[in-house]
Formats: sequence, structure tokens, C-alpha cells
Amino acid sequence: MKKNVKLAITGALAGTANGFFGAGGGMFLVPLFTKWLGMEQKTAFATSVAVILPLSVVSAVVYFCQGGLDFLGAWPYLLGGLAGGIISGRVFKKMPVTWLRRIFGALILYGGIRAVLLL
Amino acid sequence: MQAIGVLVGLATGVLSGFGIGGGSLLILYLTSFGGMAQLQAAGINLLYFIVCAPSALVSHVKNKLVDGKSALICAAAGVVTGIAASLLALHLDLSLVRRAFGVFLLYIGARELLCKTPPEEKKDKPAAPGSEPDRGSGRPAP
Repeated sequence: MKKNVKLAITGALAGTANGFFGAGGGMFLVPLFTKWLGMEQKTAFATSVAVILPLSVVSAVVYFCQGGLDFLGAWPYLLGGLAGGIISGRVFKKMPVTWLRRIFGALILYGGIRAVLLL
Repeated sequence: MQAIGVLVGLATGVLSGFGIGGGSLLILYLTSFGGMAQLQAAGINLLYFIVCAPSALVSHVKNKLVDGKSALICAAAGVVTGIAASLLALHLDLSLVRRAFGVFLLYIGARELLCKTPPEEKKDKPAAPGSEPDRGSGRPAP
């Protein structure tokens, strides 16, 4: 398959997840970039951020137009997130990322079960 | 309550910086403990990404890690499906959206739980500065 077609399919999947769930674009982009398109891990991660940013902007605009954005409820998380991004850049090399991913996976599984059961 | 929000944002922000899905975790927190509906939480996560990603993106661009042409094609396709999917989510039954999110989480959770240490944790050689990455070099999947 042509590389551009693969890229378009990858982007379309990411847009679907990001628009529908408000998250998860990167969960498609990074593995598809590395395994299907042969990108280096670091390039894949950085490029995924460049893709998800415009996707999040259009989705947020749609949510906003439909009255689905809660700016007041959002600010504490935005503030924390800004600080978290800075910290993460500084400690990146010292973290046991594989173990963090496994703990994250366990939390997400638990949450997934709750969501499926509508708890 | 708001102090807890800042801390949760901090934690998920750090995870996102590691390439671990902080956003999914933030939505889970907001719906499980923040008393929010699925779409309200999704909207907050979108805002969250828009606020937090630019600084990371700038440093990625400076480090020449972004494959701009690929990003452009992906984003062009993704914008179309993104608008359609957002509209769909806003008009479908809420419990259906939440269940679909749950199925998505089960998949991601299982994948991350069973993850292996990535092979590139062996020392990667620094790429020659300014060298354009070889497009589609057919590198075999690890």
C-alpha cells in the first residue's frame, strides 16, 4: 500500500477515536506509525502530538458549538497538566516507563470494566 | 476539590509526557470520581490537550523529531473523521458512548498491561543532525 494511503488511514482512525472519546488518538497513532509505517519510536511520539493537536482543536470546536465544553470545570486540570508536562520533560530519562505502563494498563482495565457496566 | 484537580492534572500530564495515555486516565477520573458525564469529561480532556501539548510540540519540532509531511496527511484525514465522530458522540445515547469508551479502554488496558520493554531502550545512536529520515525505509517491525 502507498505510504500516503497508510498515513491517511492512520489519521482517520486517530480522528475517530479523538472525536468520539475525546482521547486516545495517540493510542492508535504511535503503534501504527512504528509498526506499519516504520517510524522511529521518538519520531512517532513527537509526530503523534503534531497530529492530535489540530484534531483536538476541531473536536473541541464541535463540542463547543454543541454546548459541550465546561471551561469552569476544566481549569484545575489545565493548570496541573501544564506543570505535569514540564516535570515530565525533566524526569523522562529516570523513569521506569515499562512499569508505569503496566500500572497504567491495570488502572485502565479496571476503568474499562466500570465503563462497560455503566458504573 | 480544586486542589485535587490540579494534582490529578499534574499526574496525568506527567504520564502524557511519557507517551502513556494520560488523557484516557483523566477522563476515567472525571467520570468515576469527578461526577462528570462522559462527554463533559471528554470535552475537558480536549481542552487539556490543547493547553498542554503546544509546549511539548515546540520542543519536539526544535529537536527535529516531527515528521511534518506525515503529520499533515494524517491530520487532514483525521480532521474529517474527527468532526464526524464528535458530532456522532454528541448525538448518540450517552450510555452507548460510555460503553464504547469502556471497550476501547479494555483493549488499551490489556495492551499496556502486557507491554514488553521496548527494544530501543538499548542505546540508540544519535542521528546525524539535520539528516532527513529516510522515508518508508521498510524497517521491520520489532
